[in-house]
Amino acid sequence: MTLLKKMGKVREISSLFFLIFLFGLVGLMNSDFLTPTSLFNCFNDSVVFTLLAVGIAFVILTGEIDVSIGATLGLSAAVSSTILRDGGSAVVAVLAAVLVGCLVGLFNGFGIAKLGIPSLIFTLGTNGLVRGLVYVYTGGAWVENLPAGFTRLANVKLVGELTTFYAMALLLVIAAHLILTKTRRGKYFITVGDNPAGATMVGIPTMQTKIMAYVLCGLFASVAGILYSSRIGFITPTAGNGYEMKAIAACVLGGVSLSGGLGSLIGASIGAVIMSSISRILVFLGFSSDYDNTITGILLIVIVVVDAVAQNRAAVKTRHARLASRSGPLEEESGNRRAAS
Amino acid sequence: MAQSQTERSGQSLLCVRGICKMFSLNQVLKGIDLEINPGEILALIGGNGAGKSTLMKIIMGIYQPDQGEIEIRGEKVSLNRPSVALTHGIYMVPQEPMLFPNMTVEENILVGVGFDAPGAELRRRLAQLMDDIGWHLDLSRKASSLSIAEQQLVEILRGLLRNAELLIFDEPTSALTFDEVESLFRCIRDLQKKGIGMIYITHRLTEVFDIATHVAIMCDGVITLHGPIGDFTREMLVKGLLPPNMQEQEIKGTAEATMVDYKNAKPILELQNYSGYGFRGINLKIYPGEILGVAGVVGAGRTELATTIFGKDKVLGGKAILDGRDITGLSTKKVLEAGVNYVPEDRHLNGLFKISDVAANTTSAILNRMVMGKVFLNRKAEHDLTQEYVEHFRIKVTGQDQLTGSLSGGNQQKVVIARALSTKPKLVILDEPTRGIDAVARGEVYSIIHQLKEQGVAVMLISSDMEEIVELSDRAVTVYQGRINGEFQKEEINQDNLMAAAFDVISREQVVS
Repeated sequence: MTLLKKMGKVREISSLFFLIFLFGLVGLMNSDFLTPTSLFNCFNDSVVFTLLAVGIAFVILTGEIDVSIGATLGLSAAVSSTILRDGGSAVVAVLAAVLVGCLVGLFNGFGIAKLGIPSLIFTLGTNGLVRGLVYVYTGGAWVENLPAGFTRLANVKLVGELTTFYAMALLLVIAAHLILTKTRRGKYFITVGDNPAGATMVGIPTMQTKIMAYVLCGLFASVAGILYSSRIGFITPTAGNGYEMKAIAACVLGGVSLSGGLGSLIGASIGAVIMSSISRILVFLGFSSDYDNTITGILLIVIVVVDAVAQNRAAVKTRHARLASRSGPLEEESGNRRAAS
Repeated sequence: MAQSQTERSGQSLLCVRGICKMFSLNQVLKGIDLEINPGEILALIGGNGAGKSTLMKIIMGIYQPDQGEIEIRGEKVSLNRPSVALTHGIYMVPQEPMLFPNMTVEENILVGVGFDAPGAELRRRLAQLMDDIGWHLDLSRKASSLSIAEQQLVEILRGLLRNAELLIFDEPTSALTFDEVESLFRCIRDLQKKGIGMIYITHRLTEVFDIATHVAIMCDGVITLHGPIGDFTREMLVKGLLPPNMQEQEIKGTAEATMVDYKNAKPILELQNYSGYGFRGINLKIYPGEILGVAGVVGAGRTELATTIFGKDKVLGGKAILDGRDITGLSTKKVLEAGVNYVPEDRHLNGLFKISDVAANTTSAILNRMVMGKVFLNRKAEHDLTQEYVEHFRIKVTGQDQLTGSLSGGNQQKVVIARALSTKPKLVILDEPTRGIDAVARGEVYSIIHQLKEQGVAVMLISSDMEEIVELSDRAVTVYQGRINGEFQKEEINQDNLMAAAFDVISREQVVS
C-alpha cells in the first residue's frame, strides 16, 4: 500500500486536507485571511467548539447522540459566572460548572443506557429542561459585570499568537485521544458503537460505557461553558443555543461516523476549527455572517448523506458476500464440492 | 493452561444441572443436564427452537437461568455477566462472527475483559499462538475486510488468548466453504489435543461424525439423547431429532384435499437454474391449486429464494417464469402486479403496520388500485373488503378500527395473509406462516391455506416445522446450503424423509440435479 493510499484511509487526514484546501481557497480570494494573526485566530476562536465536539464525539462514537450540550454549556456558564460575579472563588466556580455538566451527563446516560430511550428524543427533552433551568436560575436576565481578571484570561497568549485557552484545549484533546486509543478501557467507547452485541460478548460493560460517554460529554460542555464566559464576558439566557448542531457537524466533518464506532477526537477537533471559521470566512469573502447556520446545516447534511450512502453500499456488499459463501461457488466448482463432501 | 489441567484432572470442565428457563409463558428449557470434560467435543444438535441458543446464552452469562446450577471445574458459579464467563475460561464463537468491523484484527482480539497479562505480553503470546495453529493473518487489517472464515479464526484466537478451556461453536460452518471447513476442523482437532473442551452446535450430521467425541440431541427444551458418538448411527440421530410423540402420528395431510392433476396442469411459476445471493441453480415448478412445501433448516437459503422471486434481491442467474411471462429481476411492484405475493417470515419486522387499524392493514397493498379511489380513499370499498376477510378468515377483532398491534399473534398473521390475498395473486409465498402462534390459530391458518388451494392459488410454503410441511404439502422440496437436495411426492412426504434431507443425510438416488 502506498503512503498516499494509507493516508487516505485515515479519516482525519482528509479533514485536515479539507481545512488546508478551504483556507487556501479563501486566501486566494482575500489574502488578508492568510496572515498569521488571522490564521491563529481561526484556531483560538474554535476553543469552545473544540471542547464541545470532542465531548460529543465520545457519545457519537458509542452510536448515540446528545443535542443537550448547548443548554449544558449555557447552564454551566451561568452558574460559574454568577459565582464569580458575586465574588466567589474560582475553584468553587469551576467545580460548580463541572458538577452541572456531569449531572446532566449522568441524567442523559441513565435515561438512554439504563432505560433504553432513543437518545435523540431523550436529550431533546434534556435540552428543553436544562435551557429552562438557565432561565429559572438567572431570572431571564443577563449575567454581566464578570471580574476583569476572569475575562482577561481569554486573551492571555501562551506563545506568539496562541492563546493559553486553546493550548489547554489541545492538551485535553490529546490526553483524551490517548486514553481513547491506547488504554484498554478507552477502547470500550469505540467497540460499543462499532458492534454493541459483539461488545457484550467480550465482556464489555456496554451500559456503563455509554453512561460514561454522556458524563464526559457533559463535562467537556461545562468546561466549554467556563471558557465561553471568559471569552464573551456576559451570559445571556440563550448562551450556547444551537451549538449542538455545530458540534455534531464538526464531528461528522472530522470523520466521526454518526452510526458509531468510527472516527477520532483529533478529527473532531479539526472539524471544530472548520466549523467555527465559517463565519469568519464569510466576513472575509464579503458575505453576511447570517449565512453561517445555513452553511453549517448544508455541510452537515451533505457529509451525512455521503457517509450513509457509502455505509449502505458496504452493508449490502457484506450481506451478499456472506450469503454467497453459504451456498458455495457457481457452476463447475459446485460439482467438485459435492463429490468432495 | 496445561498446568491447570493436571491440577484439576478428574473434574469436568463444565457441568450444568437442571437448567430451566422461561420467556414470558414459553418454557424454553425444561431441566437440562450436561457435562463436558477436557478434550471432549460435544456435538449439540436439534431443530430450530429446541433451546440450544438459549442454553448457550445461559452458559455465557447473557441470560440467567430460572432454576438449576452451573459448576466450572467442580466449583459452583453464578454466571450473571459475560465477563464472569470469560474470566472462568468460557468463550463462545457465535454463529455470525461479532467482530468490530472498524477495528484492526489485533485490536479485535485484544479488546475486552478476561485477560491476565499486559498488552505487550499478550501480543507476544498471540504471535506464538498463531504460529502453533499455523493460521496466519495480517494483524493490521480491518476486520471488515476479512472473509467469514477469517473472522471465525479471529473469534477463536480471542477465546484462546483468554486461556479459554471451554470453547462453544455455534454453527461455525454455516457460512464457510468446503476448504475453510477443513481448516477449521484441523484447528479444532489441534485444540482437542491440547485438552480444550468444546461444545459444537450444528445442523450438519456429517460434521458430527467427523469431529465430535460425544453427541447430545436437544428437542423442545430437553436433552433427549446423550452419549459417546460411537454409540450412535445417523439413522438413530435423525430419529432422535423428531418430537417424541411423532412416530405414531404421521398425518398424511387431510384426506379430502383434492389431488393436483399434474398431467394436464401448466405450472404457475417455473424457476430455471435460478440463482441469487444465498441459493444456487434452483429448478422448480409450482402448479395452480398446489401447496409446495419448502423444507430446510434456518439459513439454508429459502427466505432468500422467496425475497429474490419477490424482487427484493438481485437475481444472479437463471429465469423465473410466471404463467408464461418472464418475471426475472422485475421490481417488487411489478412482481406484485404480475400476481405473486409474499408473506414474510417476521411479520413484526416486514409485514405489519402495527399502529394502523385492521382495515388499513388489509387494504394497504392495493391502495394504488382504482377500487380504492383515485385520490381520496374509498372508505366504503375499504370497509367492505376488510369485512369480507374478517368474516372469511374469522379474524377476531373488536372492529375494523382496532389497532393491528393489539391483536393476538394468530390474528395478526391472518391480517397479513388477508392483505396478501387482497391483491388476488396467482402465487402466494408463505414464509414460516405459523411461527409463534398458538395451536388453535395455527389450525385456522391451515384452513385458510387449504381454502387458497381450493381456489386454485398456488402456495409456496416455507417452513422449518416438518410437521407443518407434512400436514399441508402436495409436494415438497428440501433446501440444503442454497440448493434443492430432495424432492418428495405426496406419498413420500413424512418427517423422517424431510428431516434426513434437511440435514443432508440422504441417499444419492434421491438427489435431484
